[in-house]
Amino acid sequence: MATAARPPFTLAGFRQGFVRAQALAPGVLLYGVVFGILATEARLSVLESVLTSVFIYSGSAQMAALQVWRDGAELLPLFAAIVLMNARYLLYGAALRPWLAGAPPLASYGTLFFLGDGNWALAMAERERGQDDAAFVLGSGIAMFAPWILGTLIGRLSGGLIGDPARYGLDFMLIAFSAALLIGMWKGKADLGPVLAAGLAAVMLAPFVSSGWIIVAGGLAAAAAGALTHRSPVPNEATS
Amino acid sequence: MSIDQRFAIALVVMAAASYLCRAGGFFFMRFVPLTPRREAALRALPIGVMTGIVAPVVLQGRIPECAGLAVAILVMTWRGSDLAAALAGVAVVALLRQIL
Repeated sequence: MATAARPPFTLAGFRQGFVRAQALAPGVLLYGVVFGILATEARLSVLESVLTSVFIYSGSAQMAALQVWRDGAELLPLFAAIVLMNARYLLYGAALRPWLAGAPPLASYGTLFFLGDGNWALAMAERERGQDDAAFVLGSGIAMFAPWILGTLIGRLSGGLIGDPARYGLDFMLIAFSAALLIGMWKGKADLGPVLAAGLAAVMLAPFVSSGWIIVAGGLAAAAAGALTHRSPVPNEATS
Repeated sequence: MSIDQRFAIALVVMAAASYLCRAGGFFFMRFVPLTPRREAALRALPIGVMTGIVAPVVLQGRIPECAGLAVAILVMTWRGSDLAAALAGVAVVALLRQIL
């Protein structure tokens, strides 16, 4: 309620996001190729493969969906598999609320269509460094969406030419980038609680759940720690 | 170029599930008034997500990945460029996977 100031949503911000996210584009392209190849094996047509990448736009969720698709394609398990794989996006969207809320609904809800791990992480880190333009989120989102679609098309059409991206360490790109962003976001003692809480959650859950859930747990644990260690400047603002 | 009807129905279901996750958290927060404490929670969220991505890799303890992380962190602290840090980390992982 308090923040009435509308964030800018400009072409310049879009362009900055688009350029900054190029670092992640080659990795996304190659994983799109991998999905295209798997889609060939699951007997999806070219158009079906591309539409899947456009409308799900999530590597892990699409792999899970292919698995369910092969097992008979029942609709409820298909829905559940995608929600489970993408639950972390609920947190990403919540964290974007203070920034994107001021933008027109078409802009904010359109931007959310292109939300991905890499561009969200990049955008949140840039915001900490003072980036105010909400179109940065859209620009970086498109920069990663486009190679995902292109990669899918290449993979579906060519089938098996490229080999395993892990050979080039490309599966490590997002992890290395996240570590670098973590260091970049580190501002001092106030971040210690959230990082420790998230690390503890990861250590406890890692043997039992998939990586998507460890991300969700890490985010929630850090948010709880952030709320607990927050010192309100107004003394009677106690309820929450 | 073809889509069968069964796929078309499945696609609508999958698209709905996916967009629900992307827009749901943002939409829901509309009904949650932002107090300073809740803002602090949302601000702490990204660094927790980063930790959640990195921590399992450390826990698995494989040499190429751990060395890659160490190099990425060193380069980031030294140069302050996340791109250079990530590329250095990837290069180390690719190299060590070839050797080991």
